[in-house]
Order: sequence, then C-alpha cells, then structure tokens
Amino acid sequence: MKRYLFLFLSVSLLVSSCTETNPSGPDPDDFDRKAILENWAENIIIPALTDFSQKTESLKTAGNNFAENPSQQALEALRDEWKTGYLAWQQVSMFETPKTMEIRFRNNLNIYPVDTAKVKENIGQGEYNLNLPSQIDQQGFPALDYLLYGLAESDSEILAFYNSGENSSDYRNYVVDLVTRIDSLTDIVLNDWNSSYRHEFVNNSGNGANSSIDMMVNDYIFYYEKNLRAGKIGIPAGVFSGTPLPQNVEGVYSREFSKELFLESLTATQNFFNGKHFNSETTGSSLSNYLDFLNTIKNGTDLTQLINQQFEASRTKAQNLNSSFVDQVETNNSLMLQTYDELQKNVILMKVDMLQALNINVDYVDADGD
Amino acid sequence: MNLSKSLLILAAFIFTISCDTNNTNDEIATPDSYEFTRSGQSTVSFSGQTTRIKMATELSVAMTDFDNSTEELLLEMYRNETANGGDANPYSDADLNAAIKSVKSKVAASTDFFSTNTATSVELKNQFETWISAQINEVFPNQNVEAQPGIAGQIADGTSTRYVSAKGFEYNQMLAKGLIGALMADQILNNYVSVSVLDAGNNVEENTAKVTLDGKAYTNMEHKWDEAYGYLFGVSQNKAKPLATIGEDDDFLNEYVGKVNSDPDFEGIAQEIFDAYALGRAAIVENDYDLRDEQATILRNRISTVLAVRAVYYLESGINALQETPTNYGAAFHDLSEAYGFMFSLQFSRVPNTDDSYLTKAEIDGFLAALEEGNGLWDVQVETLQNISTSIASKFNFTIEEAAN
Repeated sequence: MKRYLFLFLSVSLLVSSCTETNPSGPDPDDFDRKAILENWAENIIIPALTDFSQKTESLKTAGNNFAENPSQQALEALRDEWKTGYLAWQQVSMFETPKTMEIRFRNNLNIYPVDTAKVKENIGQGEYNLNLPSQIDQQGFPALDYLLYGLAESDSEILAFYNSGENSSDYRNYVVDLVTRIDSLTDIVLNDWNSSYRHEFVNNSGNGANSSIDMMVNDYIFYYEKNLRAGKIGIPAGVFSGTPLPQNVEGVYSREFSKELFLESLTATQNFFNGKHFNSETTGSSLSNYLDFLNTIKNGTDLTQLINQQFEASRTKAQNLNSSFVDQVETNNSLMLQTYDELQKNVILMKVDMLQALNINVDYVDADGD
Repeated sequence: MNLSKSLLILAAFIFTISCDTNNTNDEIATPDSYEFTRSGQSTVSFSGQTTRIKMATELSVAMTDFDNSTEELLLEMYRNETANGGDANPYSDADLNAAIKSVKSKVAASTDFFSTNTATSVELKNQFETWISAQINEVFPNQNVEAQPGIAGQIADGTSTRYVSAKGFEYNQMLAKGLIGALMADQILNNYVSVSVLDAGNNVEENTAKVTLDGKAYTNMEHKWDEAYGYLFGVSQNKAKPLATIGEDDDFLNEYVGKVNSDPDFEGIAQEIFDAYALGRAAIVENDYDLRDEQATILRNRISTVLAVRAVYYLESGINALQETPTNYGAAFHDLSEAYGFMFSLQFSRVPNTDDSYLTKAEIDGFLAALEEGNGLWDVQVETLQNISTSIASKFNFTIEEAAN
C-alpha cells in the first residue's frame, strides 16, 4: 500500500509539474515526428546523396581521363566536375549517420586547409594509406583544389607536373586515388541509406536522446555552427585567432568559388529547416512546421519566421562579399565579420530557442582542446 | 581597581570587538599580489620551478615528435643527463641545457612521502621512463598503422589523430598528466608546504630573526614557500598576479587549476589557492606559523581536489564516448589516457592534517590495473569506469555531476 501511495504521489507531482511548465501549449508528443523523418529521408537526404554520388562518379571519370591524358582540355573538364561535385557536397555534408561517423565521411572529403607539404610527401613516396586519420588533410576536395589550381601560377606549369615533372606518374596516380576515394566513400553512405538505414532512421521516431530527430537536429546545428559559421566564415575572418587566416578559406587555390560554396551550404541548411524537397519547390514536414505546431513564439514573433528572417539576413549580408573570400579577407575583412555576426544570431535562435521548444538536449560540447 | 588594570580590560574589550569585525591592524591581510620585499629587494624566488616546468613541457611535446625524437633524447630530457651520467643538452632552450636541475630528480621525491620510502620513489620515477621507452619502441614504429585491439597505431578523435599503444593508451598523456601529480603536486603538498620542510634545521629561528641565506634577500623558510608557489605559477605571464591568465600558462597544474576554476561548480578555487599562497607567505614574514599552516591545509585540499575533479571529468567523458553509436574509441582513448594520468597523480594528493593521500597507492594501482586488463581500453567496461569514478568522488566534497560538466 505504501508503495502505491508513493507511486500516486509521484504521478500527481509529475502531472502538476507538467501543467505548470506548459500550461496550455500543444504537446510535442502529439506531433507526427515520423512524417518529418520520412520527408527528410525520402525527399531530401537520399535524393541529395543520389545526386552527389552521380557527381562523384563523373568526377572519378574526369579524373581518370585527366590521368590518361593530362591536357589543358582534360584539366578544365576535371575542374568543372570538381566544382560541380564540391557544390553538391554542400547539400549532404550536414547529414550524419552511424555510417558516416564510422568512415569519417566529412573529415575525409572536406578538411581544409589541405596540408600541401604532406600531399607532396605522399606523392613523392608513391605510397600512402588515405584511410589513416592523420591523412584527412591530404585528400578530398581541398587536396584536389590544390592539385588542380595550386601547384603553380599558370595552367601550363600545372600541367607540367602531370606530364613531364619528376614524379609525373605519381601525380597522376594521386589524382586518381583521390577521386576514386571520394566516389567510393560516397557509395558506402548512399548504399547504407538505401539498404537498411532508411528504415531504421524513419522508425526511430521517439523523442529521446537516441531518437533520429534528436540526433539529426544535433548534427544539423553542429554543422551550422562549426562547419558553416566557423569553418567557412569565422575561422578565415580571424574570429577565433584574432588575425584573419586567408589560407583557411574553403577552396583557397581555385580562389573564386568560396562564396558560391558558402551560399550553397547556407541554402541547404535553410531548406532542411523548412523541409524543402531536394531540387524542388515543394516543401514537406520539418523543423519549421514542428515549431509552428508548438506555436513557438519568441518576443511576440513566430520562431520559424525569426529563423527564416535570420537566414535571409545572413544571405543578404553575404551578397556583398567578394566571390573570393581570400580577396575579401585581405581587402575588407569587416564584411566577413558582419556576415559571421548574422550567422551567429541563428545559432542562438536554433541552438537555444528551437531546441528548448522541441525539448531536445544538445549532445555535444566544445572540445576541451587538449 | 587601579587605572592600568581598567585600561587593560578596556583594551581587551576593544580587541574582542575588533576581532569580531574581522578587520583589524592586528590581523595579517591577504596580499592581492605575490610580491614581498626586504630593504627594497624582492625576496621571492622560484627559478628552479620555472626551469623544471619548461623541461617537462619540452619532454611532453617531444613525446609525439615522430620526426626528431629518439629514446635517448627523451630519456635525456627527463634526466638532463646522458645514459652514462654525463652532461646532456637535449633541450631546444639553451637555458635549460645550461641548468643542472632535472625533472626526474623531483619526481616522487617529497620529504613527507618518500624520504623513507625510496623503493617506491624509484619505482615511480622509473614508471615515466617505462612510458617514454614504450612510446619510442611500441608506438613510434606504428606511426602509420591503424590502431586495433592488440596493435599500436593511430586512431581518429574527431579531426585529431591520436597515437595509442596496443591497449589504446596515449603514453604522452599519461606522462604529462602523471607529472602533474608526481612532480608538481607532490613537491607542493608533500614537501614545500610541509612543516617537515618549512621548519627543518634552524629555519624557524632564522626566519623569526630574519636571518637570510648567504648572499640572498630571503630566509630559507620564505624560499621553501616560494618554491611551492613556483610549481603552479612558475611560468605565469604575471608571476605576482597570475590569475588573469590561469589555465593558459602551462600544460600542467596551471592549466588544470584554470580548467576546474572555469567550471561554475568550482568557480573561485583558483582565487582560494592564490590567496592561500599569498597569505601563507605573508604569515611567514610576520612569523605567524599557525596561520601559515592553515594556508597549507587549504592548498592541500584545493589542489588535491583539482586532480580528483579532472580524473572524474575524464572518466565521465570517456564513458560518454564509449556509449556513442558507433563507439567513439578515439575520443574515449584520449579521455581515458588523461584520466589514467590524473588517477596516477592522485597518489600524490594530501589530506590536510594527516600523513595520507586521499586515495592510497594500492587503491590507485587497482584502478589503473582495471583499465589495463586484457586488451586495455579496447574492452574496458563502462561499469568498471563508473565504479572508479564513484570511488574517487566519494573521497572528496563534490559529486560526479559537478565534476563531469
């Protein structure tokens, strides 16, 4: 009897505390979370990954063609595929799964700045294991950026590395190894979604720390905060170092694409928030309508609206940036800093206000750096 | 009642009142700066501690310098002498090469714990050499091998690469975090703030009479206390007012006093430590040895607490990484290697007013053996780590939750 009494007391306490903290608002449990997961998987993640894998396939082909005959034409074709692939990558980089963690997908495809000395060391030795953790800054899109644009000032000098230079065959092999690896890692991730993970992801629709929504939203905000806000803008602008670091710009050797890469990533994160289908104007269930369902208001305004306005404010600010962030940082860094500030405002709206409304805990902390 | 007697009573009365207000000229104030002078000359000196922290820093960095480090070089950095006992010049800093001091001579070398326990002292000194040799002979040859259970090599921890032993340990972390206890904490808590050292020989008489050491501006007792201070603040940017940069000045005790202080649950601990040092030193100047010893009890408790908080913090971080999907071995190994070093360091902690460490050497050896068992960190159980974490926290006045965040 005592035990029942205790149970009754705790239940009533629980009930009263619930109603106190959420007097009249809708219950997050009443929302169809599975619909969000289906929309993300079916209409955003898998189509974006499928598209990306087609582009990595083309990149691989162009890389092989270039290695067979390193002509000016083949170089330009490879550069085109590299750029196309790099832009498509911005649409999928944010989506973490156990598989992407296991194969360290993002770290293997897009760690910059590339360590050019070690790239040359690999090529010089002709022997390397790109699967080693210490090799993450010697491969992927940034290493190709260096090999296709950064080896020398002029195209003819760059081509000489592949045609007549001392290790020209090693240079060609290295390009082939990089494009092959990008493509095969992408296939692993896409196959995992198509074979088993889609089902697992959609059906893990509860609301605990290990549920699909909680994990995906954490990964999404982590990506926005670390890779988009800090990696693409804050670090090169010197927000964390005090002095600008132009060598840390994404696509530093091709130089002219850094803004495009950034804007693509910004659009991808906003589209994900709004549940916008990949490569389409249609929208489906996502964080925006989840917040709308919960009627989340901050300072009298709808939170969804505030977050979208902030995405727009960031984009508007970024429109004024030079297409090359290297040039931007070196000529007028304050515009970069202003863009960073706009991006930062959405960290607060999403990481604090949105997560609170959705009752999701942040599952990562800033590494303690030692 | 005559006049002088009434005056005496009145004086006593005033004294009592003013004591209550806790602010009189009779009390020794806590200096806000660690600056002490005699006849216009500074009496503060701890250059030997600065030297040893710098030597330990070079050694710690060289542990992962795959291109330049050899076993001979690392052992020379630890001993500051050659294998034959000759003069060695292993450091990049010429001042360190010129110095005759060494890290090894002050490892597990406190008067209170080791003056009559040389067997253990030698064992602990040699432990660091074992880690150094294993780093060179086990980890270095596998620099470009992927680590697996039973195979040393590299493993990813986010964008960082960690180099681990066959059992998943980073010897460089064990060495660095182990020195925080074996060198810094042991010398401070069990040596330089100890009555056995402060009051040795004629120190009390000489300090009371302000008889300074030959050619120096300070008394021996003052100097001993300063040496305790130097093991925490010896490389601080502003050595007299070191708290503005606490945590940034070295990779050893200073760094972790700073880290613990930045946890809201322990905010203010750095100030408490500084105040105890400064007031203890002022007490020595004023010959107030009871007040000095009260400050020593504060240092012993707070600095021991820093070691324990970090041990629990890294154990909990390691547990979290092991529970990720997929298991985040790289992060876990890094955290647990640091935890190993801090646990090792806890045998040099000191319970105030006793002769004991907070955890016995046997208890700590048990924890470390549990981590090393079988394939080591590759198969250590979360429950094992949780039990260790609970055991450590239970000896201190904090909870696992307070330490973990």
